[in-house]
Amino acid sequence: MHRRPYILPFVFGMLALIGLAIAPYLVFVYAGIEKEMGLAQKIFYYHVSSAFAMYIGFSLCFVFSIRYLWKRDKRCDLWAACSAEVGLLFCSLVLLTGPIWAKPVWGAWWVWDAQLTLTLVLWLIFVAYFMLRTHIEDPVQNARFRAVLGIVGFLNVPFIHYATKLWRTHHPEVVRGEEIGLPPDMKTAFFFCVLTFFMLFFALLFKRVSVEKARDELESLKAEMRA
Amino acid sequence: MPLFFIQSLAILQKDLKIEWRTRERLGAMAFFAFLVVLIFNFAFEPASPIVKTAAPGIFWIATVFAGLLGLSRSFAIEKQNDCLMGLRLTPADPGAIFLGKMLGNAIAMLILAALILPVLVVFLNVEIAPALPRLILPILFGTLGFAAVGTLFSAMSLNTRLREALLPMLTLPMLVPALLAAIESFRAVLAGHPLSKIADWLVLGGAFVALFVAACLLLFECVLED
Repeated sequence: MHRRPYILPFVFGMLALIGLAIAPYLVFVYAGIEKEMGLAQKIFYYHVSSAFAMYIGFSLCFVFSIRYLWKRDKRCDLWAACSAEVGLLFCSLVLLTGPIWAKPVWGAWWVWDAQLTLTLVLWLIFVAYFMLRTHIEDPVQNARFRAVLGIVGFLNVPFIHYATKLWRTHHPEVVRGEEIGLPPDMKTAFFFCVLTFFMLFFALLFKRVSVEKARDELESLKAEMRA
Repeated sequence: MPLFFIQSLAILQKDLKIEWRTRERLGAMAFFAFLVVLIFNFAFEPASPIVKTAAPGIFWIATVFAGLLGLSRSFAIEKQNDCLMGLRLTPADPGAIFLGKMLGNAIAMLILAALILPVLVVFLNVEIAPALPRLILPILFGTLGFAAVGTLFSAMSLNTRLREALLPMLTLPMLVPALLAAIESFRAVLAGHPLSKIADWLVLGGAFVALFVAACLLLFECVLED
């Protein structure tokens, strides 16, 4: 067996590290303080960036799941599971940073806002994805069932989005912050954060994949030894 | 009639016959749904207006929970005597097997819904009779959406270590849009609104059914194979 290249996680990890070191400066010093929301708005840079990273994770899971069912290539399943895992991590970050922002701005930790509800439901669907992973013994069946869940779960996103949007309009007391038209300083900080989170996402994803590949290799080596 | 539908009707006929001869599934479902409605009564003060606003939610929660109970049996009966292997060996398309199973579950759910409605009238004191014709469409979409998602996952959860315990955890999050549509349109109809007022919810419910039935028909092959 040849050595796996570990260059990708290293490069992206370094970029993410540099980005994460600069981001606080841009967020807290460079970008101005928002007039209405004050300091609480600062979490927006990390919150929304996490949400973007979450969507990349779940969409990658969707794409790799379809590819797995089509080609039955074990590597596709590995990529799908790892993207779902890193996506779930960022999804949890969105759900954790959301209430911190919501409490000072909306006066409540949780409001049944359309986007928040969508994120929560997505979180539940992908937690179920990992439950499926832990509770099926046969590895091939495990991969197949997870692929089905990954596809169906992602197809459900527009429905959940539309449903929560319709539902929310029945509850007009919920007011959502409008984010259109950021001033240039905030825009710079925001795009920088999004880019940094993308780097972080891919660094984690590549690392996860290389760990899983190493584990597979170890298993096959062990099997060889026994034989 | 195309072969596909003949095959799924055969599966449906088989399931209905089993249910008719044993009568175990629907009985358990109906009793459980009845219990859920009763227990919900204790959660609210009797005869308070809250009960009436909560009635659509109580109806759907009772239907869905009892439905989950029935769904878990839907493939468990195929596990006995390796019936699932027999089904797999038939020349029937996996999609046809799914459709037959799903229709069987949907019929059970519709019967269940018809049984819960009078319970709602008696115990929660809700006026349902004038709204009854307009309730058909929301209930139909809700149960079909539930049956599609639930049938797919009940076939899956059968092969897990947790068995039936995993079914609600897979089904309920997936069902959120259909459930929201079903509850909100039920509520609007009870409040006396015409169907045109809830067109958005009905479109959502119908689209959910259409997409999930299509997706399950395509994906069921991957669930059945060994």
